Amino acid sequence: MTTATPSPTSATPALLRPVFPRRPSRNRVVISLARHLSLLLVLVVVLYPLLWMAGASVRPSNEAFGTLGLWPSNFTLENYATGWSYGSLNFSRYFVNSLVISVLCIIGNVVSCSLAAYAFARLEFPFKRVMFALMLGTLLLPYHVTLVPQYVLFNNLAWINTILPLTVPKFLATDAFFIFLMVQFIRTLPRELDDAARLDGCGHVGIFRRVILPLSLPALGTTALFTFIRTWDDFLGPLLYLNDPAKWTVTQGLNGFLDATGESAFGPLFAMATLSLAPIVGFFLVAQKLLIEGIATSGLK
Amino acid sequence: MMSPHTRPRRRALGLVAGAATFTLVLTACSGGTRVGETTQESAAPEASGAEAGLGDVEGTLRIAYWGSGPRVDLTNGVSDLFVAENPGVTVEPESADFAAYFERLNVQGSSGNLPCVPQMQGRQLASYATQGALMDLDPLIESGAITVPDIPEEVIDTGRGPDGGLYFIPYGAAYDAVEINATLAEQAGVGLPEEGYTWEDFGEYITEAQGSLPEGIAAANLGGGLPNYFIAWTQARGEEMFEDDQIAFSEETLAEFWTFWEDLRNAGATSTAQQRAEEPPQTEQRYVAQGKVMLDSVPGNALTPGQATLSGLAPGQELTTVAMPSGEGGSGNVLFTSGWAISANCDNVPTAAAFIDFWANNDEAAALFASNNGGVTNTRHLQQQLDNPELPALKKHELELYQQVIEAKPPTVSYPAGYQANFETAFNRAYETVSLGGTSPEDAAAAFIAEVNAAFGAQ
Amino acid sequence: MTTKDSRLTGAGVRRRGDRTSVLPDVDDLTDPGSSHGRRASGQARREALAAYGFLTPWLAGMLLLTLGPMAYSLYLSFTRYNLLTPPEWQGLANYQRMLVDPRFKASVGVTLEYVAVAVPLILIVSMLVAMVLNQGIRFLPFYRASFYLPSLVGASVAISMLWRTMFGGDGVFNAFLARLGIEGQSWIGNPDTALYSLVALSVWTFGAPMIIFLAGLRQVPKELYEAAMVDGAGPLRRFFSITLPTLTPLIFFNVLLTTVNAFQAFTPAYVISNGNGGPLDSTLFYTLYLYQRGFTQLEMGYASAMAWALTVVLGLFTAFMFATARFWVYYGDER
Repeated sequence: MTTATPSPTSATPALLRPVFPRRPSRNRVVISLARHLSLLLVLVVVLYPLLWMAGASVRPSNEAFGTLGLWPSNFTLENYATGWSYGSLNFSRYFVNSLVISVLCIIGNVVSCSLAAYAFARLEFPFKRVMFALMLGTLLLPYHVTLVPQYVLFNNLAWINTILPLTVPKFLATDAFFIFLMVQFIRTLPRELDDAARLDGCGHVGIFRRVILPLSLPALGTTALFTFIRTWDDFLGPLLYLNDPAKWTVTQGLNGFLDATGESAFGPLFAMATLSLAPIVGFFLVAQKLLIEGIATSGLK
Repeated sequence: MMSPHTRPRRRALGLVAGAATFTLVLTACSGGTRVGETTQESAAPEASGAEAGLGDVEGTLRIAYWGSGPRVDLTNGVSDLFVAENPGVTVEPESADFAAYFERLNVQGSSGNLPCVPQMQGRQLASYATQGALMDLDPLIESGAITVPDIPEEVIDTGRGPDGGLYFIPYGAAYDAVEINATLAEQAGVGLPEEGYTWEDFGEYITEAQGSLPEGIAAANLGGGLPNYFIAWTQARGEEMFEDDQIAFSEETLAEFWTFWEDLRNAGATSTAQQRAEEPPQTEQRYVAQGKVMLDSVPGNALTPGQATLSGLAPGQELTTVAMPSGEGGSGNVLFTSGWAISANCDNVPTAAAFIDFWANNDEAAALFASNNGGVTNTRHLQQQLDNPELPALKKHELELYQQVIEAKPPTVSYPAGYQANFETAFNRAYETVSLGGTSPEDAAAAFIAEVNAAFGAQ
Repeated sequence: MTTKDSRLTGAGVRRRGDRTSVLPDVDDLTDPGSSHGRRASGQARREALAAYGFLTPWLAGMLLLTLGPMAYSLYLSFTRYNLLTPPEWQGLANYQRMLVDPRFKASVGVTLEYVAVAVPLILIVSMLVAMVLNQGIRFLPFYRASFYLPSLVGASVAISMLWRTMFGGDGVFNAFLARLGIEGQSWIGNPDTALYSLVALSVWTFGAPMIIFLAGLRQVPKELYEAAMVDGAGPLRRFFSITLPTLTPLIFFNVLLTTVNAFQAFTPAYVISNGNGGPLDSTLFYTLYLYQRGFTQLEMGYASAMAWALTVVLGLFTAFMFATARFWVYYGDER
């Protein structure tokens, strides 16, 4: 094994220093405190807009604007009550719809993209370069111009007003972003692992299942998380393909609070927008515990 | 360590070619149905002559409209009434907010999948009508499938396209008005403008008010970028907006309009150009509803939600609306109507016609919808609503002003195809080159007219 | 399975000088994870078969769902197409039009400025935060979740209002400046600063690259650090000889994708400027302009031409990235 090289630069990024404290000292407490303080300070800036939104969601609707403060003087949960079933809007239904679509998309992306990524990262086959370039190419074309041809295609398949146009493509690995992401992850894994498994009698499926997948948990978790966020926050897809109000998703519901030509309901909008964050935040919290932290302690030791 | 491996390049080419061929096949399929070449069921509506649009009212009917919360409930409520009267009909509504609505409509149009009855507005109409996406409704009126005895002729005419065909039946008519914070105007000692006030009076009114307003509140919201103000400006001068799909007003007219606003802005009587640039579009967020400016031009139906917001932020302040300024050429008011059209690919025309007829004539439906999208166009219904003692005061004011506008028989502006996309957004941008960029109103007007005419010509 | 030892020899610790000796041939550039030794042809065939098995869903998606629409949009770029009537062939007219369209030029300028400013900022911030969060710091899950929170909010109308509350004339930022005795302005309404308020928005939602970095950092085996400590390597040296090299595949990914995304940036400007790219076209991103042309002005042919022009540029950029990758990206599967 080679030893470390001398550092090629003399610049010392201040933030890097505490990563490896040379020896324990009394300074550690001070450093740790300073670190927490500066992190908290940055956090306040980062979270202010979101806290403001949460604050606005518990103010009376017509007081939503006009204050920069966070804590409402007239605290009310009315926006949540009215927003949940505002007129014909029905958020219990939208949350269920969004969840169903998201879960399907997550399964589809994780399965199909990891399969493709394994082939690209580890296997040799004819036309590999062409296919890889093609895969990357699909990332580069702005999606707005394929929107119409895709709609025509799905319309010919009679898939309009079903969730098929939103979910089936995920099972066919059309999100090149995630294939590429997983290729990069898998390629950080040493090939000796595959060889060892091969010696143990594993075929490609075995290597994929027993070696690559377990070690790629962070990548799979990242894929699941990003897929969830993208699907959950997607507006254009549901707008085009889910016309029936009973099939609406949360984003369509949020859009239903606004109308530039009539009345808008900002209080309920903020309330439901805040609430719509809950599932992804929850997913993130679970995912980071299971996947990001888990790997460092168990995965590679 | 490294080993060269063989790469079959020729076969790679072969695969690409194969994929390309496949793609072409797929493309050929996806070219599919298109609005122009509609399928058998819709069988050229014009051909059926006297019978146009007559037939069994049954089956499913896809309708689409823009709007949020309350309007969705009201529209669906009317659909329910229609279904109750026509058992055997199912109405499938598709709604979204204004921008998203048209975005979806365009995509649907690309595959001949427009809803049977889409909602339309004069400003967008031509883009669809000139492309054969909508059905001419005149034959349906002749055959009696749709009856409009109580809608004034000049209101019906707002549903006509550039070719003179009738493409939607207006059910609601909005007008733009000047919304004034009456409380602030009172405090500034200027009151409200007198009926029949001119643009000159308007300018003086704003300047005078600014002198006595509290610091931080501008007398007027900067209006140089609002196309509807400008339409009022041309109407007051008796000028046409468009002719033969080109701009008909003169460069001077536009330059003077912008100079009018520049003078006010430079005198500090309006919100700043930067403030105007960051103003959100929703009624509740406009500066006049926030109590940050004393007056602004708004659609007439913005009064109620605007007042609700203002009451929350500045309790006690009251908003009201007055007609647009006028001039020698006439009043500056025009109607912006919304109504129902029938798409060319609709395969259930009799039901679509019955639905539109229901909106145009049913008392119960009109009472339920209560002029939610502009004043109801059926004059009988309008009177019924005004006579309703339970009508809220602000709504009553909105409808009375509407009645006043309509009695003056406002002119109809016929908007060329691509009006909203090419004129409205460009208008605001062109004024920004003046207010933010320092271009002279004359140069900006010349550049704007050239740009827009070129865009219209390319449609 | 012998994971521990092989892990140690396999990953990142490698002298820069060593690289040249393990460089793959040029053919390998766009060919991730190739070059795994000579094989019997039977084995190669079995491997190819397995590969196509793994690729079946992707191939099906590519052929059935992706290639068709892409090729159709390429065809549209040579036509006049208003969505409502069939496209009409007009050759290169759309491409020629780009050369003389002043707003097209404006959108290119805006986009380049945005890419140049936002991409480095996003990458540096996300890398730094990821490294800070990678330490054994208390309340780590809390910090990580909090920093990631902004990225979870979809680009909704709510965001545009939040941003106005931050950077509008009456916004928080100005209130803060006022405390310092500085008179603010409308950062969103001023054409000179509007773009930077969008840069701030995209830096605010830096979570995606951060999570990728973080996941990558977590994959750096602790044994490597321990071994390096035994060799007497200081923190800086450990960072540059272990952390950074192991992370390079993900840095590569983030640089490439963040840049591509920045070139394709749409939603921030769409949401904040209500889709018009104002004030004075100062936030007229390339794809926003493309979208205006395609969906509001119903010139889908021109929009498609713009999209393909961008795709060619991004393709060149991607090829360039892959060409340079061999000088600085270290894969664990190379030996």
